[in-house]
Amino acid sequence: MATTVTDLEVFTEAPPAPPARPRVLLVGTALATGGAAMVLLTLVALYAGLRSDVLASGEVWLPEGTNLQLTPGGMGMVTLGFSLFTVAWIVQALRNDDRGHALMAFAITLVLGAAYINVIAYGWQQMGVGITSSPQVLLIFTITGLHVAMVGVGMLFLAVMAFKAVGGQLTGRAAEGVSAAALYWFVTVAVYGAVWYSITITK
Amino acid sequence: MTVTEASRDAAVEAAATPAPTAPPTGLAAVVGSGDPRTIGKLFVGTSLVFLLASGVAGALVGFEQADASGSEIFQADTALRVFTLHSTAALFLGVLPLLLGLATAVVPLQVGASTVAFPRASAAAYWVWLVSGGIVLASYAIDGGPFGTEADAVGLYVLGLVAVAVALFVAAVSVVTTVLALRAPGLSLRRTPLFSWSVLVGGTVWVLTLPVLAAMLLLSYLDLRYGQQFLGGSGGIYNRVAWLFWQPTLYLVAVPALGIVADVVPVFAQRRHQKHGAAMFLLGLLAAVGFGAWTQIGVSIDGSSTPTPWLFEGPWIAVSFVAIVPVLGLFGLWNLTLAKGKVRLSTPLILAQMGALAILVGVAAGGATAIESLDLDGTTWMTAQATLVLGGALVAGLGGVAFWAPKLYGKLLPDAAVRLGATVLFLGVFVAAVPEAIAGTLGQLRFAAGGILSADAGSLPGVDAADVDTVEVLNLVAGIGLAVMVVGALLVSLALLKRRSGDGPGDDPWNGHTLEWATTSPPAVGHFAELPRITSEAPVYDARHAAAGTAETTEASA
Repeated sequence: MATTVTDLEVFTEAPPAPPARPRVLLVGTALATGGAAMVLLTLVALYAGLRSDVLASGEVWLPEGTNLQLTPGGMGMVTLGFSLFTVAWIVQALRNDDRGHALMAFAITLVLGAAYINVIAYGWQQMGVGITSSPQVLLIFTITGLHVAMVGVGMLFLAVMAFKAVGGQLTGRAAEGVSAAALYWFVTVAVYGAVWYSITITK
Repeated sequence: MTVTEASRDAAVEAAATPAPTAPPTGLAAVVGSGDPRTIGKLFVGTSLVFLLASGVAGALVGFEQADASGSEIFQADTALRVFTLHSTAALFLGVLPLLLGLATAVVPLQVGASTVAFPRASAAAYWVWLVSGGIVLASYAIDGGPFGTEADAVGLYVLGLVAVAVALFVAAVSVVTTVLALRAPGLSLRRTPLFSWSVLVGGTVWVLTLPVLAAMLLLSYLDLRYGQQFLGGSGGIYNRVAWLFWQPTLYLVAVPALGIVADVVPVFAQRRHQKHGAAMFLLGLLAAVGFGAWTQIGVSIDGSSTPTPWLFEGPWIAVSFVAIVPVLGLFGLWNLTLAKGKVRLSTPLILAQMGALAILVGVAAGGATAIESLDLDGTTWMTAQATLVLGGALVAGLGGVAFWAPKLYGKLLPDAAVRLGATVLFLGVFVAAVPEAIAGTLGQLRFAAGGILSADAGSLPGVDAADVDTVEVLNLVAGIGLAVMVVGALLVSLALLKRRSGDGPGDDPWNGHTLEWATTSPPAVGHFAELPRITSEAPVYDARHAAAGTAETTEASA
């Protein structure tokens, strides 16, 4: 098509910049993630406070017969630690429009999430006492159980967003959705760091 | 571009456009709506109904305490449960959702957005809140609630309240995200209208506070379900909730209420809000000190004690006094704005000022609570403080409903009826709070703290025998005050149902300042056909004055 004078005049001034794309999902997820973290951190703070009070009174914290092993909690931390890299891998692969790597990283993340849930459930089984045995055990089951639920939500969130992105919606809200899911996952792992230290490490 | 390309684009666009369908009407339009205006109206209307229930319960408890010789209306344990119903419903089913509902409807308009950030989530939040609020109330009827004796019903109450907290959390996330992510081009955070700003700062702190409540309630539920080991069974549940009714968390309810006042005052002063940036800072400060999750009643591992190590410690005393500063500062700015402007004395302004006054008195009362030698902590002085702050927030919130009624309902509210109802409500707040405060100075313990359960016949918990007659009269007057509040809320509710008949109010009946007044009343779907140029916090005010050639510079102008 021939260029006319009229066409040129259109471009003598730069068009106004489009309005910044609202990052609604990312902002909303950040707020919701903060709320989810507050639930766990509240219980961890309560656990730590009660433990401190009991130790200050010269008694032992965990009642006799409570077998809280270091290994399952530690393996859970390592597993979630690895998942940080795989989630970052998903985000980076999608930025590079590399669906193959994104799918692989996504699958590994889901496997790591499932492995975490499995190892925590194993830890519950190994504890040797039921939830009704003492307030300490009630707190441990509540905190770790809620964190498993948090990981489950994260796996679901990642799955939905990653499938949308891998399915071809690599731009706009879908890409933002993967970043939002990654943010949620990173916070979930950070919260587990606090849970792991407070419950498994300090015992 | 060739003609062929243009045709192809048009064809694709036409294919992508769904066939028009008739908009739903009747119940379907309400139940299935994701329209923020509809959701906001539902929150406002339903919260008023819940508030009536709360007020009736409070008045009955007040009358119950008017006679120390024995129970007149309830058995002692029932009275305690009815008191917890009164306070729980006032905050979680009344004032907070009313303000959130108003925010859901108004904030998208104020920031120039076409809708709220997560319309479906907001709608879901409303319906979950409604159903779970009903469950909370219903649990009382089957011997549940705090101090209830039916374990399943108590568990139902706890889970219902968790669902209420989650629903309010979701609604808050939606409006806060709207302010953060959906502001119109040119509307920087610095230029955000003060109500939207107050929703942003107050809502963010609520987003961090409600999960703490949910966590403690979940733990309470598990403790109840698995052996009642250390949280005190059904009697301990109220301890997990009570911290939301006292300072500093109580002040979080005041933040959006003061934001309403901050938007109403300049409109009726016909002048910009003076020191808009300072007002933003003061609202932010109040929200920051309002984070009070650390002031909970503690627990011990064997359930033997309920420690409060923060009480009368430095941080608690500090926030108790610091909270007075922003409220006083805002009052100063509003007086400055009114003094520099030409005041039009209209119903929204009167209600907003009455609400702010009650909040100021309530916050000042909180300062007095922090003076250990006055020995007011744990007494009905704190009940009075909660009555003032929640009542003040309610009156200011109703002022907001009257102010934004053209946008909410497409009609102005009947001026005289709303003014009468809200004035009665305001008077009721003080008639209830002042006797409660005086009784507190005479040592009467808070209902839930000392409890009527612990009182012997012929005595009131914490009160010297010589003062019992006086405190009985004070309790009677406080009960009358709560009954007056119910009458006031009823009058306002009737006014909302009636609305003003006749022609619509016009798009901007008050000569407003902010973006919501740049669209139709009620707003069409999508809210804005065209937005005015935004160069300050009051774009509509700017446009009006630019047209009249009387432009006024502002600190927030670019």
